[in-house]
Amino acid sequence: MARFAQKHSDAFDPNAGDTYEHGYSYSTSGYSHIIKPGLTEGVVQEISHIKEEPDWMLQLRLTAYQQFLAKPTPTWGADLSEIDYDKIHYYLRPTDDQVSSWADVPPEVKATFDRLGIPQAEQNVLAGVKAQYDSEVVYGSLQNIWAKDGVIFLSMDEALKTHPDLVKEYFGKLIPSGDNKFSALNTAVWSGGSFVYIPKGVQVKMPLQTYFRINAPNAGQFERTLIIVDEGASVHYVEGCTAPAFSSSSLHSAVVEIFVKKGGRCQYTTIQNWYKNIYNLVTKRAHVGEDAEMVWTDFNMGSKVTMKYPGFILAGKGAKGETLSMALASSGQHQDTGSKAIHLAPHTSSTIVSKSISKDGGRTSYRGLVNVGPHAHHSQNTVICDALLLDSRSRSDTYPVDRIFNSQVTIQHEATVSKIGDDQLFYLMSRGITEENARKMIVNGFIDDLVRKLPLEYAVEMNRLVEYEMEGSIG
Amino acid sequence: MTAYTIQANQHQKIQLTKPGEYRISLVGAGAEVEVQGSFMTVGTDKTDVTVIIHHQAPHTRADTTLRGVGRDRAQIRFVGRIIIDEDCGDSNSFLTERILLLSDQATAEAVPDLEIKTDDVKCSHAASISRIPEEHLFYLMSRGLNRMSAEELIITGFLEL
Repeated sequence: MARFAQKHSDAFDPNAGDTYEHGYSYSTSGYSHIIKPGLTEGVVQEISHIKEEPDWMLQLRLTAYQQFLAKPTPTWGADLSEIDYDKIHYYLRPTDDQVSSWADVPPEVKATFDRLGIPQAEQNVLAGVKAQYDSEVVYGSLQNIWAKDGVIFLSMDEALKTHPDLVKEYFGKLIPSGDNKFSALNTAVWSGGSFVYIPKGVQVKMPLQTYFRINAPNAGQFERTLIIVDEGASVHYVEGCTAPAFSSSSLHSAVVEIFVKKGGRCQYTTIQNWYKNIYNLVTKRAHVGEDAEMVWTDFNMGSKVTMKYPGFILAGKGAKGETLSMALASSGQHQDTGSKAIHLAPHTSSTIVSKSISKDGGRTSYRGLVNVGPHAHHSQNTVICDALLLDSRSRSDTYPVDRIFNSQVTIQHEATVSKIGDDQLFYLMSRGITEENARKMIVNGFIDDLVRKLPLEYAVEMNRLVEYEMEGSIG
Repeated sequence: MTAYTIQANQHQKIQLTKPGEYRISLVGAGAEVEVQGSFMTVGTDKTDVTVIIHHQAPHTRADTTLRGVGRDRAQIRFVGRIIIDEDCGDSNSFLTERILLLSDQATAEAVPDLEIKTDDVKCSHAASISRIPEEHLFYLMSRGLNRMSAEELIITGFLEL
């Protein structure tokens, strides 16, 4: 597993090559502020103080901190017992200010993002970019054509300063701090993340993208994202995540709230490629209004443990929700992913498609909930979970729950678990394809209908990543 | 809880008639089991059926079908779980849960779980919850049945396994 081999962090060397090696990092000696590890009320106050926040936010953080302490660690899913909350840095500030030109980004931060190919992608295909390095957003831009239509794309901290009323109206309304232990933790110590507002009728045709990078060892990243898509507007938001290799674990616990108003559309794509030492515990939820549509495309390849169940509340008549989820678990990884569909209004429909691949002793779990309320008559839901096991040491689970409180509905659920068939391999190999290539082709075919939903650049990248993971995996 | 153990090369058919928890273990190579249960609920019945199929040996087969009809204010809950242990290659297991809801006050919950720890298996589950499709009723009514008896006919057929 070359991709996950141990690497070390070095002091920044400006003459180093510009190819990015997965798992690489620069040292954190130049950081402008690092809070000591451990979580206390003082840490929460200090973060709020550094950010010069209004009092209501400080109070919200402090309440959330108490809720975090009061809630037990969930035991129904992946094993979280090894997280040591006292060893984690809850706030690391790499630079003092967010800048809007790559030239002003500190050199070691810039080199990291350059190697990940970010400035290039921005020039070609993106409407706007944020780059978050540990706790703070260090770079942000938005193309003028969208800015003049009134599109707002800011870091959450900026938004709290410049649009306090809008933030106060929506912040924590969909995922209250007491929702679960990790949403409480996030609310207490959140830093960074994006704030997106798309005004009425504006169709943002190019994706907005945020890159998240955890660079320091034992770092906690707690970004907070809020997306508001007003009536008839549409947006595609993409987040990408990477982190270097450290022997100790880091924690990433984000909260993402999305409001899609009447006739709006939002697609939220995650390409999660954290290093294999990250606990990725994320709460994501969307509130979907009348005739609006929410699409989650969720690709989980990295991290040690991921627990993530993007959900949508179909609250307006005719609302639509869709989740496309792909998980790849290799040795030492547990991808516990799925989706929640809550139907509250009539004529709502939702689809959840989940594809998972387990290899080298990895474990993937699908965990989902479909809840159709008494008023959601004429609603439809389809859940399809397909799992592929590549060897006998790996494991796949499916834990779906369908709760139906009304009879005028159509609910379907299907799941299959299988391996790469010998007959499939034989067919391809009899045509002169090597076993390794045949396996890659079958796996790429297995996830093909999900990858197709990605913008072209990401689809190509995704296929490459999967092939990379499959390298040398003949069992 | 009722427990069944299926030995090597044994073939057993289990008919579930009462709600409750059933645990079926396939402990010997070549064990096969067929589990069926159909449940009609009326009034304020609460029907809770849990079936756990545990494959503990290679070359085992299981086929589980649960069907339920919910009328009035009945509550139906089907929990099915297939567990296939490590080193239980060449095992096949299928689980089907189908529920018809006939009234808006009736509620249903279907939980079909899979826990698969080996790769050489064929395993799938399917669950559906719906009302009687209007086309099915229309077909029978166009042949002279009234709505009531058309419904009864479909339900009888649905519950017959």
